[in-house]
Amino acid sequence: MTHKYWLFMIALLMTLGLAVAPGATTHAADNSTTLKVGMEANNAPFNWTQTSKANGAVKIDGASGYANGYDVQMAKQIAKQIGKRLVVVKMSWNGLQPALTSGKIDAIIAGMSPTPERRKAIDFTSTYYKTKLTIIVRKNSQYAKATSLKDFKGAKITAQLNTYEYDAIDQIQGVEKQSAMDDFSAMRVALTSGVIDGYIGEIPEGITAATDNKALSYINFSQQNGFKVSADESDLAIGVRKGSTLTGGINQELAKISQAKRNRLMKWAVAHLPATSSEDGNWFTTLLKQYGGMLLQGAGMTLLISLVGTVVGFLIGLLAGIIRTIPRPSTAGKRGLRALANWLIAIYIEVFRGTPMIVQAAVVYYGAAQAFGLNMNRTLAALIIVSINTGAYISEIIRGGITAVDAGQFEAAHALGFTHLQTMLKVVLPQAIRNSLPAVTNEFIVNIKDTSVLSVISVSELFFSAETVAGQNFQFFHTYLVVSGMYLIMTFAISRLFRLVEKHMAGPISYNLAENH
Amino acid sequence: MTEPIIEVQNLKKVFGDHEVLTDINLTVNAGEIVSIIGRSGSGKSTLLRNINLLEQPTSGDILFHGNSVLAPDFDITHYRAKAGMVFQSFNLFNNLTVLENVVTPQVTVLKRDPAEAKQHALELLNTVNMDPFINAKPDQLSGGQKQRVAIARAEAMDPEVLLFDEPTSALDPEMVDDVLAAMSNLAHTGLTMIIVTHEMAFARDISDRVVFMNDGVIAEEGTPEQIFNAPHEEVTQAFLKRYLNRA
Ligand SMILES: Nc1ncnc2c1ncn2[C@@H]1O[C@H](COP(=O)(O)OP(=O)(O)OP(=O)(O)O)[C@@H](O)[C@H]1O
Ligand SMILES: [Mg+2]
Repeated sequence: MTHKYWLFMIALLMTLGLAVAPGATTHAADNSTTLKVGMEANNAPFNWTQTSKANGAVKIDGASGYANGYDVQMAKQIAKQIGKRLVVVKMSWNGLQPALTSGKIDAIIAGMSPTPERRKAIDFTSTYYKTKLTIIVRKNSQYAKATSLKDFKGAKITAQLNTYEYDAIDQIQGVEKQSAMDDFSAMRVALTSGVIDGYIGEIPEGITAATDNKALSYINFSQQNGFKVSADESDLAIGVRKGSTLTGGINQELAKISQAKRNRLMKWAVAHLPATSSEDGNWFTTLLKQYGGMLLQGAGMTLLISLVGTVVGFLIGLLAGIIRTIPRPSTAGKRGLRALANWLIAIYIEVFRGTPMIVQAAVVYYGAAQAFGLNMNRTLAALIIVSINTGAYISEIIRGGITAVDAGQFEAAHALGFTHLQTMLKVVLPQAIRNSLPAVTNEFIVNIKDTSVLSVISVSELFFSAETVAGQNFQFFHTYLVVSGMYLIMTFAISRLFRLVEKHMAGPISYNLAENH
Repeated sequence: MTEPIIEVQNLKKVFGDHEVLTDINLTVNAGEIVSIIGRSGSGKSTLLRNINLLEQPTSGDILFHGNSVLAPDFDITHYRAKAGMVFQSFNLFNNLTVLENVVTPQVTVLKRDPAEAKQHALELLNTVNMDPFINAKPDQLSGGQKQRVAIARAEAMDPEVLLFDEPTSALDPEMVDDVLAAMSNLAHTGLTMIIVTHEMAFARDISDRVVFMNDGVIAEEGTPEQIFNAPHEEVTQAFLKRYLNRA
């Protein structure tokens, strides 16, 4: 009961902290010499990732690969005109807005439309591209010949999560609305495999999908038979922080770019999409040749984060174990201090075991920036989150390991005059660690896999890299098959390695009698 | 040699509402060998555990060289090093080898130089005939071997007092003698020994004084001859009769 109470208090405190936060938002970035632009780099033809800097692509900040597309070219032009150096930051769609408000980026140029909801949180410049909604379908399906929304009665339709496209599904009478999906690449796969009958996107996505995949086409609805969309939504604009000093300058530049120029740029973008068809040779070597480096870097990052996270988490676990076993002191003051420490540890464990790591990552990375103006490096934030999270689990594992150590071991040490710390370090923890090692190994393996949730803060670990690769080559099966293999190699190597460590810690099975002297 | 080293005064110990020690008064002189006998559950272990503060006394006092071990400024670590304990269940450190079990406490608590500590450990392990086993881990030893290492470990701290809590009760009969021999070697070397035991013959031979405990009090104490040959109290007589009949 008391635990629940304290959890509630903490949740309340966190909420309060975040509620106060917007006032503390940092605007410092607006006067810097760089223009940090956030985008998915996975939303062609607006923005995509490619492996070379061909066709004027821009290096993606803190990750391998280059970004290009309509948005990138637009961003380049604007940055040049307002006298700043362009930095492209790749992040997931849902990370864009918090990244902007917390000052991680200065602008969102990502094919985003200025909906009223979004306007509540951030400002938008004037339009930089005007679009129309379409439904992308399979060429060989009955829907390919549709001309009106009415023709989609009974069709399974989806769209991207948190977009006005998804809300627009409701305009189709009798539609079978499917749950929203994460990105267009996933929707294209769902469509070709027949899981869905169509998905809603803007015209550029229709052009791209049809160019890319001969089995797909898109419907060009007439004004009255198509989706009714407010200007707020069909007009794409650049997101900036509320009251940003950038707005004026950007609007001035946008005014100079005519509609004709914009259409030309879009055509150019569609024409310069990275090639997806593979050369001859088998798919495996092609994939490795093209993306092997990117995937290996991702694997390296995954290994680094989970290794550091497990080691630091292990140290946290040992420390918690030492503190939680302190014997009852004789003076009231020390007793109070001990109770307080135990209480804090209990809260720490409950909070970090009781909330998903993906939420912790968002709170630490975006929340800390928004509430305290603390701008953390993404990798550092990832290391901290995984360490703290793992620490909570390993604290409990070590506690179990300590409980399994015979009480006589403590008594003998105390009877010999060992202090509590000496007892723990020399006698109890070595045994507790041995007891806990299989479970700690397990944590390590779980970490290898769970670091994939860190894509929410755009850490380029293996899963994030895999998403990027799959988003470029559309070979979902092959890419994720290779990536599964990479995860397996890592986890298998770790479990074997720790088996050896366990064996080593157990010591030799037999002993040699020492020479008599 | 009549200077008191340990004085237990009006010691009372309560677990919850269970009064295990009612009112214990016991003075042990330096160099003296005192055996404590009594029925199971009479509070013998509890008394020893209070003496070296593994349990906190409920009331009363315990003096070491005339100083209260319960005083706030009393150096408990030093006291525990000087008043060692040998347990019924050995309690060797399972993560350490035989040699390390004897070396580590000296280095950790007494801050002895490791080489010196090792030398000391080897000598003591030799006297209990455990020097061939220095590389073994505790779970590779028999009970009697473990207990002899535990005695060497306690001795290595150069204690003034050693408390033994039924050191042979967990052993097979053929191993008991080795352990009793190791204890006999220690007796009358100036070391004070308080021994809780059910080995009546051993208690009679080795002790300067025998204490009979019953229901949380000391029912009778005296020389071995007096307790074993002519006990005053009826409870003592009844207890000993059962033991002597069995022997
Ligand atoms: N930590 C404890 N909590 C509650 N009761 C306890 C505790 N330790 C001992 N007792 C009780 O105190 C009484 C005396 O126990 P103690 O171990 O001192 O007896 P003993 O004389 O050593 O017996 P034995 O010869 O069987 O070892 C027993 O009734 C026991 O149940
Ligand atoms: Mg006992």
